Amino acid sequence: MSENIKTVKNATCTFCGCVCDDMILTVDMDEKRIIKAKNACVLGRAWFSQHTIEDAPAAMIDGQPVSVDEAIEEAAQTLMNARFPITYGLSDTTCEAQRQAVAITDFIKGTIDTTTSVCHGPSGLAFQGIGESTMTLGEVKNRADLVIYWGGNPAESHPRHFTKFTVTAKGMFTPNGKKDRTVVLFDVRRTASTPVADIFVQLKPGKDFEVLWALRALVKGRTIDASIEEETGVSLETLKDLVERMKNCRYGVFFFGMGLTMTRGRHFNSGALLALTTDLNEFTHFVAKPARGHGNVTGADNVLSWQTGYPFGVNFSRGFPRFNPGEFTTVDTLSRGEADAALIIASDPASNFPKAAIDHLRSIPVITLDPKETLTTKLAHVAFRTATYGINTGGTVYRMDDVPISLRPAFESPFPSDEEILTSLKARVHELVLAGKNQQSALKTSTSLNA
Amino acid sequence: MSLELTLHTSPQVPVEAENISPDKFAGLTIAEIETLSVMHGNEQLTLADFFKVEGQTGAEIHLQGDLSRLKYIGSGMSSGHIHIHGNTGQHLGAAMSGGEILVDGDAGDWVAPDMSGGRIQIKGNAGHMVGSAYRGSPVGILGGEIIIHGDVRNEAGHGMRNGMIVVGGNSGDFTGVDMLAGSIIVLGKLGIRSGAGMKRGSIVTLQAAAMLPTFSYACTYQPTYLRIYMQYLKDSGLAIDEAHISGNYERWSGDAIELNRGEILLYKD
Repeated sequence: MSENIKTVKNATCTFCGCVCDDMILTVDMDEKRIIKAKNACVLGRAWFSQHTIEDAPAAMIDGQPVSVDEAIEEAAQTLMNARFPITYGLSDTTCEAQRQAVAITDFIKGTIDTTTSVCHGPSGLAFQGIGESTMTLGEVKNRADLVIYWGGNPAESHPRHFTKFTVTAKGMFTPNGKKDRTVVLFDVRRTASTPVADIFVQLKPGKDFEVLWALRALVKGRTIDASIEEETGVSLETLKDLVERMKNCRYGVFFFGMGLTMTRGRHFNSGALLALTTDLNEFTHFVAKPARGHGNVTGADNVLSWQTGYPFGVNFSRGFPRFNPGEFTTVDTLSRGEADAALIIASDPASNFPKAAIDHLRSIPVITLDPKETLTTKLAHVAFRTATYGINTGGTVYRMDDVPISLRPAFESPFPSDEEILTSLKARVHELVLAGKNQQSALKTSTSLNA
Repeated sequence: MSLELTLHTSPQVPVEAENISPDKFAGLTIAEIETLSVMHGNEQLTLADFFKVEGQTGAEIHLQGDLSRLKYIGSGMSSGHIHIHGNTGQHLGAAMSGGEILVDGDAGDWVAPDMSGGRIQIKGNAGHMVGSAYRGSPVGILGGEIIIHGDVRNEAGHGMRNGMIVVGGNSGDFTGVDMLAGSIIVLGKLGIRSGAGMKRGSIVTLQAAAMLPTFSYACTYQPTYLRIYMQYLKDSGLAIDEAHISGNYERWSGDAIELNRGEILLYKD
């Protein structure tokens, strides 16, 4: 350890959707690495310790090191020559970079989609169809006396969720922390989160919708047959007890995870939970929130919604935004072999997409921006190595409850940020768009002269 | 005589071809039809870049070749006939109000969204969202008739207000979800969670089906109106036995969360 040590107070961890902004980082400025992250959870500690500066070229074309300017020129030409280019990723970068990506996609008349489409995209559809009764996590900490998790395992995915906001946190109207709350967990199996719950409801896999539908019916005073237990694994008595608790709580909250949104039924599962929340507001105050995974996936939804009107799966090929999940979402455009170029920002689809999608990704020119080498950067035509957001760059990210939080970088990276690369790329693409228009109008003038 | 459009160049990316429609072709010469625009991804081209156009204008339109990447064929049409001799892509007959489309092969997702009239017959299978609402819209088709001889995938008839959807094979999950009225007849197996959130309307199936907990058994009877429907479908070339026409059907009422005025009819032999 060198002598050159810096402490960064109130730094922000951008690993998961909790976006904890109370980190105290100890940074070795000579070695350019974070040696201690006070207040961080196990995931946050790994995030901070593993993002060191690697010795690698800032830009590569087909695996050969090139200058950043050359790579930007090549990337711009590739995108401009494509007829159905797609932009994907965006959940692990700043809102400032996401803005640039939307502008680029607009200029190239492409399709923009974020990792939302493979995690809480169904919730996005359900928000549009049903509506969302929302809140901030601070409100939950201060008021919630009934906390229900559905299809998630926060003990392992969002380790500080329980202690900072929902279970042991002491708030204005919950001065005794856990004693003032009832915690319910719905899942198909026991997980590390189960011991935290006062009531654990184990349902049969793929029966979320049926259970939610039965709960809705009971809340509305309809009768449900006792055979529900055989079908879903949850007894009618349990459901009735839960409905009474939900109707009689002071402030209830649902947090739902991918166990709900990515199992059979998808947006209807999320929709059923949001509809149940709406139903419960006839009796008490009830809210629902997806427990978002990536650090700034919520920001991606916000930026896309604010710039295009839609949260994900947006197509610009006709010059205006159109939203149609299933048609314009990335897994679909790749699996059907439609996309002919891809700009992938801070994401690694080659490691988790279906095989047909990855096979197609291999056959088209791909441009990547990533702080690390990934399976996707390895197959990229143009690969940019960028600085890590929150560790090397400032900017804005959104917490899972749509609260924007500023970043405090710990140390500088020799690599440019996503925002810098994308801003340069946008400028070059814009030049090419203008040149194309001039060429077309020149062509028109000469044709009319000839005529 | 007919107007023949034969695909000579396969598109590399999806093509949006809402101009292939009797309404758009009306009053145009062959040369003018050839210059109608299509969107090849983000570039605007003409019909002649993909199709050889020949025959008589103003007649039935015949399309030849693999059109599985062509979207919006017959979009917004109000009259006339289109016959597709093969597969076709998404949004077939979107918002059509009249006329007829016949497809010999398969169709993609979103067959006839926002349809208000006319007839679509597909000899093969169709994708998700047949005769459904577009995302963000609570109301699906307002009328018309969609007959699919093969299978369909999820959300057939999502939010439909009127009209008829017939599936010769099996349907996917959430058939008739949130439907307001109208009829869906599935001759094969009905997917799970059918009729979730339905207010009114009928879903009919000839095979056993799983019911949501919010549907309740009402009675077993012989619905009179169904005889007329089934006879009509038999005449349209679907595999309907005499027993299906005059047989017993179990009536399940739902969705209790909504008005409970919808019905799912299950054939009982």
